[in-house]
Amino acid sequence: MNPLRARVRRPGRLAAEASALLIAVVVAFPLYWMVLSAFKPAGEIESSEPRPWTLAPSLDSFRHVFGQQEFGRYFLNSLLVAGCVVIASALIAFLAATAVTRFRFRLRTTLLIMFLVAQMVPVEALTIPLFFLMRDAGQLNTLGSLILPHIAFSLPFAIWMLRGFVKAVPEALEEAAYIDGASRARFLWQILFPLVLPGLVATSVFSFISAWNDFLFAKSFIISDTSQSTLPMALLVFYKPDDPDWGGVMAASTVMTIPVLVFFVLVQRRLVSGLGGAVKD
Amino acid sequence: MSRVNDHAEPADTEGGRVAGASAEFDPVEAGGASAGAGAAGSDAVGTGARASETRAGTGAAAGAAPAPAARPPHGSRPAHAPASGPGNVAAAEAAPAGGVREGSVAAPARQGGGSTGRPPGKEARGRRSGRARVRRGASGASPLVSGGWTPWLYLAPALVVLGGLLVYPIYQLGLISFFQYTQAQVSGGEPTTFEGFGNYAELFGDPQFWQVLLATVLFATACVVSTLAVGCALAVLLTRVRALPRLALMLAALGAWATPAVTGSTVWLFLFDPDFGPVNRMLGLGDHSWTYGRLSAFFLVLLEVVWCSFPFVMVTVYAGIRAVPGEVLEAASLDGASQWRIWRSVLAPMLRPILVVVTIQSIIWDFKVFTQIYVMTNGGGIAGQNLVLNVYAYQQAFASSQYGLGSAIGVVMLLILLAVTLVYLRLLRRQGEEL
Amino acid sequence: MKLSVRFAGLTALAALLATACAPQTSSNSSSDKDEKTGTLRVWLFQEVGNAPKEKVVDSVVAGFEKAHKGTKVDVEYIPVDTRAQRVKAAFNDPASAPDVMEYGNTDTAGHVKDGGLLDVTKEFGDWSEAKDTDPTARQSVTVDGKLYGAPFYVGVRALYYRTDVFEELGLSVPKTMDELASAAREIRAAKPELYGLVVGGAYTYGAMPFVWANGGEIASGKGGSYASGIDSPEARKGIKAYTSLFGDDNCPAAKCAGMGGNDTISAFAAGKAGMAIGGDFSHTAVEAGKVKGKYAVVPLPGVKSGSIAPAFAGGNNIGVLKSTSHRTLAVELMEQLASKKTQSELFEAMGFLPTFTDVRQQVARQEPFVKPFVRTLSAGTKFVPASPAWAQIDSSLVLPTMFQEVISGKKDVTKASEDAAKKMNAAFGSAG
Repeated sequence: MNPLRARVRRPGRLAAEASALLIAVVVAFPLYWMVLSAFKPAGEIESSEPRPWTLAPSLDSFRHVFGQQEFGRYFLNSLLVAGCVVIASALIAFLAATAVTRFRFRLRTTLLIMFLVAQMVPVEALTIPLFFLMRDAGQLNTLGSLILPHIAFSLPFAIWMLRGFVKAVPEALEEAAYIDGASRARFLWQILFPLVLPGLVATSVFSFISAWNDFLFAKSFIISDTSQSTLPMALLVFYKPDDPDWGGVMAASTVMTIPVLVFFVLVQRRLVSGLGGAVKD
Repeated sequence: MSRVNDHAEPADTEGGRVAGASAEFDPVEAGGASAGAGAAGSDAVGTGARASETRAGTGAAAGAAPAPAARPPHGSRPAHAPASGPGNVAAAEAAPAGGVREGSVAAPARQGGGSTGRPPGKEARGRRSGRARVRRGASGASPLVSGGWTPWLYLAPALVVLGGLLVYPIYQLGLISFFQYTQAQVSGGEPTTFEGFGNYAELFGDPQFWQVLLATVLFATACVVSTLAVGCALAVLLTRVRALPRLALMLAALGAWATPAVTGSTVWLFLFDPDFGPVNRMLGLGDHSWTYGRLSAFFLVLLEVVWCSFPFVMVTVYAGIRAVPGEVLEAASLDGASQWRIWRSVLAPMLRPILVVVTIQSIIWDFKVFTQIYVMTNGGGIAGQNLVLNVYAYQQAFASSQYGLGSAIGVVMLLILLAVTLVYLRLLRRQGEEL
Repeated sequence: MKLSVRFAGLTALAALLATACAPQTSSNSSSDKDEKTGTLRVWLFQEVGNAPKEKVVDSVVAGFEKAHKGTKVDVEYIPVDTRAQRVKAAFNDPASAPDVMEYGNTDTAGHVKDGGLLDVTKEFGDWSEAKDTDPTARQSVTVDGKLYGAPFYVGVRALYYRTDVFEELGLSVPKTMDELASAAREIRAAKPELYGLVVGGAYTYGAMPFVWANGGEIASGKGGSYASGIDSPEARKGIKAYTSLFGDDNCPAAKCAGMGGNDTISAFAAGKAGMAIGGDFSHTAVEAGKVKGKYAVVPLPGVKSGSIAPAFAGGNNIGVLKSTSHRTLAVELMEQLASKKTQSELFEAMGFLPTFTDVRQQVARQEPFVKPFVRTLSAGTKFVPASPAWAQIDSSLVLPTMFQEVISGKKDVTKASEDAAKKMNAAFGSAG
């Protein structure tokens, strides 16, 4: 069924497959090493003869990580931030994407261009004004100061990507719904929303990642209330440039990476097709 | 996108790609398959479904295609096409329109609508003539009501959020860049003074700024080129291997993609750690420090950036290749074209829209790299040798309290990216892309 | 070109909207409130081997909470390297600022200028223990005759060396800077797994004694008009002496150029160096390391035999933030954290040299290891320019950048010191 594959000669294909496997190993190696180091006992991590396996896996590094500070709490904080961002941006983007794909109104093209341009804005450059904005809004030191900007920053891309999904729902369906006497709101939430849901999930990956990974905002906005800290900040506590606690860093990294991985694996099908849609539009 | 569906009746879609039903792990096919199983029509999202449309519809499209599809780059006409029969030529021509980028299916309709003044004869062609006529300016939006205030109601939350947290801060950023704004002003110890272009003058007069700008551009270019090269090469490789290696490579790539920037940075640092890292051990480099030299530090960061960003390119381009009708490639290879030749003369031109998007996306991402540089070179490297604009702006603002100067750097960065965006928009337009 | 026309229109609209109105400032006035209950936030520095410090602080806090019903003290240890950003952020947003914080004495002028610290002249005068405060330490909390905190400890650096290594190689304790360098190279040559004298490109206060010993100055001047002296011939000699220690024959640049003070101490404590320049406050970390019982401390030698290189009179203070809403409680907590009792406990726990002359003498009698530090102190110390610009020069890494540029061969001493002097003068000029 793969046209390319059918005609590839055998030795060539074997070579291709061998190199694919080899590359897969290389690409996966950093992750493997991360997990491995997280499970290595203390003495083995900082050894001048690093081994690609361990005979005595231990949870010491994890215990250390969760014992130090309130790592569990930071984990929940991160989850809360990412969760709020995902839900809020998905809902807002869904409405906006519906507006720009299923209605015709003045400034529509202009708005679309704005959404596109908004994706280009270097978030980091806005840290300065956002800091003052959050201060004036009394949001510094709260998770709100992380949630709000991330909603804003993930919206343009989410809208852009969702457009394809909303467009894909045939207009006939909409017409039929109205003929059946459905209100606009009913169509929106009970017909369109479920149909676009897969796309929403794919879109969410990006907002989830941007919120989950955030390092700069957490560093700049969470000033003194450590109970509001998030994972990337906690991770860097173990990473002291002078004397990094590699075991702790790797264990914390593992803990931080796993939710994203799980999320990715769950939505990867939607993601790939969604990307196809977003990218081609 | 809705257009594709309008033409590709559900029957079409089902008839097209059954491949998705195979049990192997293949995101693209799976995407197509599961989407196909969804409610009628919503499946056009899946690339597989789109490909099917092209294939199933080739007959119909072939007749319709030549005029609108003549737009794609000249390279898209494979040199050997004549030999492979008229059907394949048609498919090759039709694909960019109907298969790879369905936007251009829609484009002719809009053009037909009169907005670009194309010969009117082209609009009333084939199936298109049977459709509800698109109103001018709607450019592919629903032919439904114009909606009055409803779209604005739907847009309101997005506009409020974007206005408050994106537009307003940008405005503030610009404003601060014109002021003498250091710690004393922020805490209210001294009045803010309007400096005009003072901060910019200071910035442009500072050799370090130019050095950082140059480093940023070169570094971003290197990242983009490497990411694209690796991503495209692996996408092609993916199409040539069986399920198991493909599964392995896909999973590995997804893993790299999913890794947060902070953890990615620390893990790569650890891999290349002079004392405890496995890489130096494997390469027999002793305790060579990778972060000491300027180039080697940049190289290390580049490796990490490419590692975590090539999967996006690979998956997207792979999805694009899968959408290219098999006949085209078959024909090309029957003619004995080499892989490189096929890529250059057949795939690349067809995938051009996708390539443009991933290139622009990569430029934007790589130009803005912050976390990797900040973490891996410990805030900009020895004597600031590894600073890029983003980190430089952050250091100026938050470490040295030169908020005005930092904002000016931010504005410069914003303008550069805006220029890239404009190029992007022009490219989109040239391709007759609709928005 | 319809798109670009629209886009141009938008930009014009945005430009129109951008009417000139100045960005806001925070009204960082002192809080009127003086609550007697609630939570007090305290920021202290995270030291190498912080646990003993935490223990002492915890007992102070426990006593304080017991004495004041309904109060809770929330202590956070912040990393020293990035303290500037945290502190600035706190000044920018009084709502999230701590009530009490530890700060380096080099930051006093800058913090006061930023309007962050509370004037405690009166309270300090009323405090019974204050009269025994060492005048130098007192000076370090004073700006324009007003006091902005209580001295916490005195930090002064001296030379740590490995007695076992010196004995094995038959080396004698260096008496001049030249001897120091040659001893370092001998150690490295004989034991390539060790750094001779571990130095750091970002270790400003380890490097400055070399400049001072050669007669150089960071800056000269008084009050508002400082001028950088880092590009004087004497200072250059010192920079050269320090940077020549980076090399494969002592401390390879690839490793050492990026190190800061804490890194060098960690390396020494881990037994990876023959010598290090460390402070009294590093004592605990070294004791807790592999080299326990195998090292000794002497004052860092100067240029001439028998002289002592002028050390940097470092140290930290405890201050109350202007924005506190618990003024009385915060001042009291400050006094308890900086009290004689706490200081002598901290000395035992961390090796922090007390700021009270009587307490210092008392501990010096008990603990011989303090001697070289006290000797260094009495031989004369130097301080950074008492200008608010210093905080900016410090946080924008002017001096570390200069050292690193020389070490990595990007610039020669002349050029690097010239550039650094320019940056410093610009800062002095703008910050007054």
